[in-house]
Amino acid sequence: MTSSIKQPIIGFAGMTHLGLVSGVCASEKGFMVVCFDPDPSRIANLRDGKLPVSEPQLDELVARNAARLRFTADVADLKACDIIYVAPDVATDDLGQSDLRAINLLLNSVLDSARADAAVVILSQVPPGFTRGKQREGRILYYQVETLIFGRAVERALFPERYIIGCADPTQPLPLAYGAFLKAHGCPILPMRYESAELAKISINMCLVASVSTANTLAELCEKIGADWSEIVPALKLDKRIGQYSYLAPGLGIAGGNLERDLATVCNFADEYGTDAGVVRAWIANSRHRRDWALRTLHQNLLSKINDPVIAVLGLAYKQDTHSTKNSPAIALLSSLLPFQVRLFDPVVPATAVPNPRRHSAANELDACDGADALVVMTPWGQFRSLDPAKIASCMRGKMVLDPYAVLDRAACRNAGLEYHTLGTAA
Amino acid sequence: MLSLTSSEVDLTLPIAAEQLSKLLKSSDAVVMLSALTPDKGRDIATLMKNIAMMQHLCSALGQTGCSHLVYFSSDAVYDTAIARVTESTPASPQDLYGAMHRTREIMAAGIRAPLLILRPTLVYGVHDTHNAYGPNRFRRMAQKEGKITLFGRGEEMRDHVHVEDIATLTVRCLQQQSTGVLNMATGVSNSFHDVAGLVARQFGKRVEVVETSRANPITHRHYDVTNLIKVFPDFRFIALQDGIARCHNETTGVA
Repeated sequence: MTSSIKQPIIGFAGMTHLGLVSGVCASEKGFMVVCFDPDPSRIANLRDGKLPVSEPQLDELVARNAARLRFTADVADLKACDIIYVAPDVATDDLGQSDLRAINLLLNSVLDSARADAAVVILSQVPPGFTRGKQREGRILYYQVETLIFGRAVERALFPERYIIGCADPTQPLPLAYGAFLKAHGCPILPMRYESAELAKISINMCLVASVSTANTLAELCEKIGADWSEIVPALKLDKRIGQYSYLAPGLGIAGGNLERDLATVCNFADEYGTDAGVVRAWIANSRHRRDWALRTLHQNLLSKINDPVIAVLGLAYKQDTHSTKNSPAIALLSSLLPFQVRLFDPVVPATAVPNPRRHSAANELDACDGADALVVMTPWGQFRSLDPAKIASCMRGKMVLDPYAVLDRAACRNAGLEYHTLGTAA
Repeated sequence: MLSLTSSEVDLTLPIAAEQLSKLLKSSDAVVMLSALTPDKGRDIATLMKNIAMMQHLCSALGQTGCSHLVYFSSDAVYDTAIARVTESTPASPQDLYGAMHRTREIMAAGIRAPLLILRPTLVYGVHDTHNAYGPNRFRRMAQKEGKITLFGRGEEMRDHVHVEDIATLTVRCLQQQSTGVLNMATGVSNSFHDVAGLVARQFGKRVEVVETSRANPITHRHYDVTNLIKVFPDFRFIALQDGIARCHNETTGVA
């Protein structure tokens, strides 16, 4: 802390992924933090060190900052706070539509309980127009864009690229306490009107989806015409207009829930205001198409060729380093493999997440491969990268490996006699 | 199972509604695959006869009800200019035959019964009567003329499905009371040139594949059959080369 003003106390309301990670990271920055959730059992678990989410470094940070973290189910405890973030994860349905009931309840509760001079900041993902609709006489209300990434949430919260702040009037300075807290992170602060900030969040995600969709579209073409997308990506990243951090890795469509929510929001607004969202709908269709790459490849090479195959699946989470299976391609694949024997392993997600009566919950990766006709690596967990293809080959009954994210060494797989399939290049 | 042909119930006649209502029970599954195909006429009169056939069926089912209605439509409901088709592709027929099937699909949806709409693509098999451009006509051309004549160089890619696969899939749909829309295609498209080559190779003698000057622009058609795979993940289509060989052997009497 380098600020000369009194160190503000920060409150976080809603102790699911966003609120918990953000609160813990605020404590890591040296602030006293009050973590509130109306669910006493959730608070009891947090006090016992049982976290409801899995993120790299999160457990260590909670332990290290225990003296600065206060978990409470009593909303009155937020009166101690100078800034209160309202940060519950907003649930979405299968179509990406947000269910705003929980945040409405929590926000009302916070607005009723906070000190009059406290800044209340909505951190959850809300549609444009939401924050202005919540303004109350005598209340200081802001909206702050969150850009956490599942699996990298702690890193993103500790070292943000910039802060995007939605204000009732962006020409007015931020409250001192709020400004001090933001400045402690050493990144640019961009105040703007509420609606711009709410749409900025969506705009960021739309740019990411555009990149991923481009990668997926061209990777599929590579698979058909003899090109290799992995050879093309470095050339694109050296182009300054595209950039080294651009999302160009092909994948199994958009997953996790947040991007899908923004796609749905843009389509809904476009329909309401008569603007063109054709390209957004094309991204959605492309995402659904690529999500089923593994199923189509399995069907073409295995399911349509042998009776009662055994399929090993490594990874159930929608991406590495997370417990979340929201819109997970692995779960989608397995829902179409119900007639078959499947052998499942994920470092975090239990096999019971898959309602297949013929599932085997494997103890480890090689146990999953034991006797399998095909191996499908559906989540790029880091630990899978160290698997030895020769050992995999010796465990399996068949030779087929589907590795969409190129977790395994392609050449080593082929040297081990495995029939290797990945995104972006022909088998 | 009750198999009705036009000699027993002529669906084009109003009396068909009464005849059918006496034959059907509410517990029956009904498969509607009667239609006057384009080789019987592409004009308005044919369209109206086809609509009348569906009208009479709907009239009968309105009285009797049924437990499951399977309507055999056609991929003609899709715009021929669309190269990649899924069940989500909007139906946008470009001719009266396609418009007829789309209209009959909507008529079928008015029946209070679980409805499955099947949209087969190009079907081939020994007993085909339509003789449409593709494996069936190629086989007959090769047999009769000793050559297969292509439109242009036969570049167009199409998906060809064996009639036995259509039958097997229909039975499986009936068994599990499937509803919704399902395209009946293999997911593998081949050029007419390659199909002609496959047919030609079945004959012991040399069959020439003749190219002609192109009169129409090239269009392609591919099916994304992911939905079919999801419903029937263990289903195995008859590969085109095997299906063509089977047709040839059945025609020539080879076991």
